Parts: sequence; C-alpha cells; structure tokens
Amino acid sequence: MRKNLLIIIGVLCASAVFANGPFEKAMGKNIPAMFTAETSEALQNVINQLNRIGEAEGDRWEPYYYAAFGYIRLSDMHEGGEDKDKYMDLALETIAKADLIKPEDSELEALRGYVHMMRIVVDPATRGMKYSGMAFASFQKAVALDPENPRAHYLLGRMQFGTAQFMGNGDGGACETLARAKELFASEKPESPIAPSWGNKTNEEAIAYICKKEESE
Amino acid sequence: MRYAIYLITLLLAGSPFAQQTISGRVTEKSGEPLLGVNVYVKGTYDGATTDINGSFSFTTYEEDSLILVASFIGFHEVNLPLSKDSEPLLIRMREKVSELNAVVITAGAFHASEEGKREVLKPLDIVTTAGATADVPGALNTLPGTQTVGETGRLFVRGGDGRETKTFIDGMLVHNEYSPSAPNTPGRSRFSPFMFKGMSFSTGGYSAEYGQALSSALILQSKDLPDNNRTDISLMSVGADISTTRTFEKSSFAGKVQYTNLTPYFELVDQNLRWDKAPEEYNANLAYRVKTSKTGMLKFYTNASRSDMELYEADIANPETVLPVKVQNDYAHFNASYKELMGDKWGIRAGASFTKSDDLASLSNDSRDQELTGFHTKIVTDYQHSDRIAFLAGAEVIQREVDQVLEDETGSFAQGFKERVSASFFESEWFASSSLGFKAGVRAEHNNLTSGETVAPRISAAYKTGAKSQVSIAFGQFYQTPQTQIILSQPSTQAEKASHYIANYQWLGEGQSFRIEAYEKRYDQLVKYDQLFDPSTYSSIGNGYARGVDLFWRDNKTFDNTDYWVSYSYLDTEREFRDFPGAFTPTFASSHNFSFVVKKFIDEIKSQFGLTYSFASGRTYNDLNAEGFLTGRTPAYHDLSFNISYLYNNQVIVHAMVNNVLGINNIYGYQFADTPNENGMYASRAITSPARRFIFLGVFITLSKNKGINQLPNL
Repeated sequence: MRKNLLIIIGVLCASAVFANGPFEKAMGKNIPAMFTAETSEALQNVINQLNRIGEAEGDRWEPYYYAAFGYIRLSDMHEGGEDKDKYMDLALETIAKADLIKPEDSELEALRGYVHMMRIVVDPATRGMKYSGMAFASFQKAVALDPENPRAHYLLGRMQFGTAQFMGNGDGGACETLARAKELFASEKPESPIAPSWGNKTNEEAIAYICKKEESE
Repeated sequence: MRYAIYLITLLLAGSPFAQQTISGRVTEKSGEPLLGVNVYVKGTYDGATTDINGSFSFTTYEEDSLILVASFIGFHEVNLPLSKDSEPLLIRMREKVSELNAVVITAGAFHASEEGKREVLKPLDIVTTAGATADVPGALNTLPGTQTVGETGRLFVRGGDGRETKTFIDGMLVHNEYSPSAPNTPGRSRFSPFMFKGMSFSTGGYSAEYGQALSSALILQSKDLPDNNRTDISLMSVGADISTTRTFEKSSFAGKVQYTNLTPYFELVDQNLRWDKAPEEYNANLAYRVKTSKTGMLKFYTNASRSDMELYEADIANPETVLPVKVQNDYAHFNASYKELMGDKWGIRAGASFTKSDDLASLSNDSRDQELTGFHTKIVTDYQHSDRIAFLAGAEVIQREVDQVLEDETGSFAQGFKERVSASFFESEWFASSSLGFKAGVRAEHNNLTSGETVAPRISAAYKTGAKSQVSIAFGQFYQTPQTQIILSQPSTQAEKASHYIANYQWLGEGQSFRIEAYEKRYDQLVKYDQLFDPSTYSSIGNGYARGVDLFWRDNKTFDNTDYWVSYSYLDTEREFRDFPGAFTPTFASSHNFSFVVKKFIDEIKSQFGLTYSFASGRTYNDLNAEGFLTGRTPAYHDLSFNISYLYNNQVIVHAMVNNVLGINNIYGYQFADTPNENGMYASRAITSPARRFIFLGVFITLSKNKGINQLPNL
C-alpha cells in the first residue's frame, strides 16, 4: 500500500493558457510551474506566488486550490512524518480558504480527500483506519457533488486499489472506477483555462499499472 | 508621437507608475536567515520568496502607502509600512510557539493519540499487545512505572496501591472502573479501548485539573464523529457481541450489546478453581455525539452491565471443606460532556457523570452488599492569551454515596457515608520560547466529611536539548480520601497525601524513542490502625516513600514490519501504614519489572503476530509461620503471551491468543488459615492464577458499505 500511495503525481502539464488579464496571465504561469517544480525551494516560491494572488484577488478559489496542491507535493518531497504533516495541515488550511469562496465544490472536496489519502502514508498501520474512512468519505462526497468530475473518480479508484492491496485481495473495484474516470477525462471540457484539468495522464498510468496486472494474474 | 511612446511605456511596464525595487533580508530573532518566506506588498501580486541567505528582491509599481508583509509558517506575520525609496530592509521574525514545535512536558506522562506526532504510544497498541487481552490497563502494564500484580489486573504505579490510580473519561471520574472478578483473579477494565481516540497515562506529577489519586491518572478521550456507517459482529470463545454505528450529517449514534459466558470454555479447559456458575455478563453501551457548531461537540455515553459468578473456595485449614462464594454486580455509568470554543481565545468544557454500582459478595453465610452512587460535575474554561501564555481554570464537585450492609448468622450491620469533594483548580502555561516551557498549577479541595481543606501545588518545566531530545522535571502534591472500608468505619478520617519529584529525559527519533525517568515519591498522612474494624485505633501518622528509575525503548524502524518495545522499572519502597508495625515493603510492590513486547506483520500470510514477555521480581507476604513481619518472598513472576490476527478478507478477521504459553505457575502470595493447627502452625495456600493458560479465539466480521473497513484496528 505504501508503494501504491507513493505513486507520485507525475509531471502534469496544464494546457496552454491564454493570457487575457493579469490574473489569467499570472495563473497561466504559476499553474504549470506548480506541477513541474522539482525542488522544495522552487515549489515554495510558486506556492507563495499563488497565495499572493489569492489574497490580492480575494474572490478567486483557484489560486488556493493550486497552492494547496503545491503543499501536497511539498509534503511528498519531505521525508519525516512531522514535516509531511506540517505541509498537509497547510494544504487543508489553504483548501479551507478556497471553501469560503466556493463552498461545496467537488474539486476542493476531492483535493481534501487527496490530503487524507496521503496522510495514511506517514503511518499506515495506525492511520489507515481513520484516514481511509475520511478519504473515502471525501471522494464519495466529491462524486456526489459533481458526478462528472473525473478527478474525483480517479482518486477514489486509487484509494480503492490501495485498500484492496493492503487487504491482499483484488482491486477493490478500482478498475471500474478508473475506467469511468477515463471516460470522463475524454469528454471533459474545463469551465475555464485555469479550472482544474489535471489527472488524465496519471489515470492512464494507474490503469496501465493496476488493471493490466489484474488481467495477467 | 509622444502619445505613442507613452502607450508603449504603458504596455511594457504594465503600469503608468514608476517602478520601485524592494529588497532586504529576513532572519529569525537570533539572526539565522529564513528560507522560503513570502515577502510581498499587501493586496498585490508583487513579492518574492527568500533564498537560502534570507534575501529577497522584487519590483513593484505600486506607490502609495505600501504595506510590506512577511509571512512564513511557524512565525508571526510581519506587517511593515514602506516609505518610497526604502533602503534594503532587515526583517526579523518571531517564532510562533505551536503544538508542532513546542517542547512538551513529558515528566510522568505517556501520551497516546491517533495523530501521534510526538507520542511514544498509539491507541492501537492497546489492542495489539499480546497478553493485554485488549484491556487498557493490561496494555499499560507493559510500560515502565507499573508493577505487575497478577491477581488483580489493575494498574499499580510506582509503589502505589491499585486504588491510587484513577480513570477519567472526557475529564469525568469513573468509579468502579473494573469489572468484578472472583477473589484473587484479575479483573478487566469495563471500558473498551476502541472507544478512545487518545489517552494520557500519568505515572506521576499530573495536571491540577485532576485529583483524588495519589499515584496516577489515566485520562481517556472518547472518539469524535465517525465517518461511516458500519455493523460489527464478533463471535468469541467466551461470548458474542454486535455493534452498530450510524452517522448523520452532524451527529452519530453507536450501540453495542455483548454477552459473555465462560461456561463452555471452562468445560474444555481445566481450571484451578471449582466453578459452580462460570462468570456471565450482559453488557450494553450507547454513545450519541452531536457536532453543535464548527467547533462545538456534545457527547453522551452510557454503559450498563450485569454480571455474576459462583464458585467454591476450599477452606485453607481443611481443603476438603468447600465454601460457596458468590459475586454479583449491577453497574450503570452515564457520562455527558460538552466542548466549545468562544472566539479565538476562550474555550469551555463542561461535563457531568453518574455512576451506580451494586456489588454483592458472599462467602458461605457471610455477605456484603455495597452500593455506590457517584455524581461528578465539572466546568473548565481556558484562555489562550497568546501563543506563549495560556491559562486554565475550573471547578468540580465529586460526590459519592456508599451504603454497605454486612450480614452473617448473627444479623446484619449497615454502614454508609456521603462524601462531597468540592475542588477548584487553576493552571498556567508559559513558553519562554519553543524550547523552554513551564506549567504551574494549584488545586484546592474541600471535603464535607472532614471539613478539611487541602491545597496542592503542581509545577513542571521542560527544555528542548536538541531537535529530538528534551528534559523535563515535575513536582506535585496529591491528596486522596483513604480507602472505602476506613471511611465507612470513620468518615472523618483525613485525606492521605503524596508528593512527587520527577526528572525525565526523552529522545524521539523517526520510528524510535527512548525515555529515562527518575522519581522520588513521599507518602504522608497515611492511615494507621491496630484493627481495621476499630476506628478508635485510627491515626493519620503513617508515611512512606517510593523511589526508582523507569526505562523505555521503542523501535519500529530497524526491523521490517516489526515493532518492539522494552520497559524496565526499578522500585525501592517502604511504608508504615495500616497495621504495619514499622516501615516495610508492601505486598503489592516488586523491585524489578521488565516487559518486552514485539509485533510483526507478515504480508505473505496477511497476519500479525504479537509476543509479550513480562517479568517481575518477587513480592513480600506475611508468613505467619515465620518470625517477623512481611518476611516471606514469592518467587519471581514470568509470563510469555502470544497472539495472532489473520485477515481472511476485507471483512473477516480471525484472532487467537494464548496467555502464559509456557504454563508457568506464578505465585502472587500466600493466604493463611485464621487459626493455627495442633502443631501451632498456620495452614497456607498459594494465590495463583485461576488457570495456567488462557486461550482465546474469535472471529470478527464487519459489514459496511465502505469495503475498506474492518475490525483490524480493533484487534
């Protein structure tokens, strides 16, 4: 399970963003930078910029969404449990800021579930019970809020697989969920160029890794 | 043309205003540069992140009344008004003292929580420790500072008697926390470890919020709202239970019913005791939790049980003569607690608990019926003045009514008392920095029976000696009403007193921890008497001491999928109390206690194995056939216990355990006949376990929509 949860989000290039204003321009620069930053210094720099944009705008949830994503990546770059938790706490605080601007949002709920899922990695034996419950609850809520959100399905599939692996039986319905995510990614039309659109590539990778393996067994 | 140039400038610069460069350095108070600080002009995108030297530099087109913000996790935010053409700035940031970085006062305390940032234990450890039989005190008995007293199953801490440890659930005192058991057989805690999200086991020097315990406080926090609906069914060699959890938007309900009957087990496995009716128990738990607001939580918990057993005890002098023994108990406990934050700085906690316990015990024609009614109310407020200073103040009333009826052939005799302990407490916490913290508190108690007042100070301090290590010290005074039998005979007997002095060193690495703690405990005002049943011989002049060293090492890093810990306690104690003719080591104290606990998960067979070895050196007993007092010494105690949990699939787990695998006949002491035989000798009998081994088998089934959940963490 550790290994599976440790599958890190690969490099996700957001589609080219048209700069049609200072906000879009700044986001267009920082979103791909957040996904591609390779050192914690570079990532912290991007997160700081996103937080500045969020604070200056005041009514946009996207900067906080990506800043929170940045904290998840930052958490992942650190080794010690205390450091990992510190950045995951920051990710949740940042998601909470976005929640105030856009309550009951599927993307934000899915990201929150992602944080819970990554918490398990710190200490699976002790935390598995509590955080797997929380992660499942978040992913299921995210799906309920927007049944068409491919990321909610993708993350739910990852969680199902990780849990089933821990228990040592099957895929836990992961392939079905990931296949649904695949369909949704194919038909996805982001609301705006800066709306979340990541996940298609890692979903494909997860299908290749999990579902091929299932068939060959 | 000029217009065109203006336009180009505008396009290039994005702003008609002049460009200004802002640069400088950000450091800690100590001058250490800070890396990663977000430095920016308030309300704009303009800013930069500090580099490894703490330096930053950026340009802004804003001009008027600029405010520069420096923001960094773990530090207080800095807001600086900027004038035009500022020189390079030097910004010093002050560290925030937070839960994450603050030194923790660990003298005397073992903390366990699911979050487990600094804890040496997890709640899960309680249920996976072999030999503990999923019993909270059973698992805590593998920690240093405890002495194995195998015939009771209770927590005996640092030379203290079992009654000197008190249990608190959500801040409320629990009376009669152990299920009844046959004479000299271990009892279990009534409270399932699965109920709790966190616990703090204090082996001394605990907070002023708690009282009426001379040695130790076991502070348990019940779980908050669960996330999923589920139903659990357990089928065990000793009984069965079914529990269900329902979650709603802002509340949850959990219920459990359990039936235990040892008859089939005793049929199969030979017992040292002759049972007429094996222990049987009906037990029901209900919990209702409501989230009253974003930060508020209201919890109700109730537990009710009925148990009884009957056996025959051989007369010590004439083993052929057997006397019937009956033990029966009806128990109800209700606990309500409320917690809420009021603004950023104030918090409030309030609670009420009610306990009713009716114990009936009889030996032949002599019987004792003891009824306890306990009532506890408490209110606590806390005030967080800043990240460095916090206060806590509260008041509580602990009431206890005990009525006892003794009956024999000659008639019956009734005694009783109503005790009301009113207490108020105050505690303040001060962090000079994240590495140096102090706590000072005081607890005042008034007892209606003695009309006496006690004032007990509690002081502690902790200092971080390195990123992973710290030292802490604690001092405290503790008062407790003497044992029930004494108060029944003489209600105005004054409280007994203990003073603790503790020094602790702790090292916490990633996956490894080490603790060493030395302590000195002084007992005063202990009750002395010639005859327990003659109150005219009572006096509060008894005293004693306990001193020793506790060691603990835990490691789940060195060996793959393997977690182990080692505990050792050295204890030197003597008391002059009860009917002791001088200072002697009491029968419940052993000089050396050692535990080794190991757990290993083997992926290939989806099973977790656990092994616990416990050792305790011999204890004193009063040998009536020898000269002197308490001159007897029992052999050392050894126990090797083993458990295994096998995950059959997501929803089914099979669990097996064997306590005392080697079948060692541990002797806890000796009982003597009341009168000598014709040779002038007293007949004796060893106090031993009711059976050499205890074997348990269980199948645990979970039904949940969420396929990821099972009872694994419950085992």
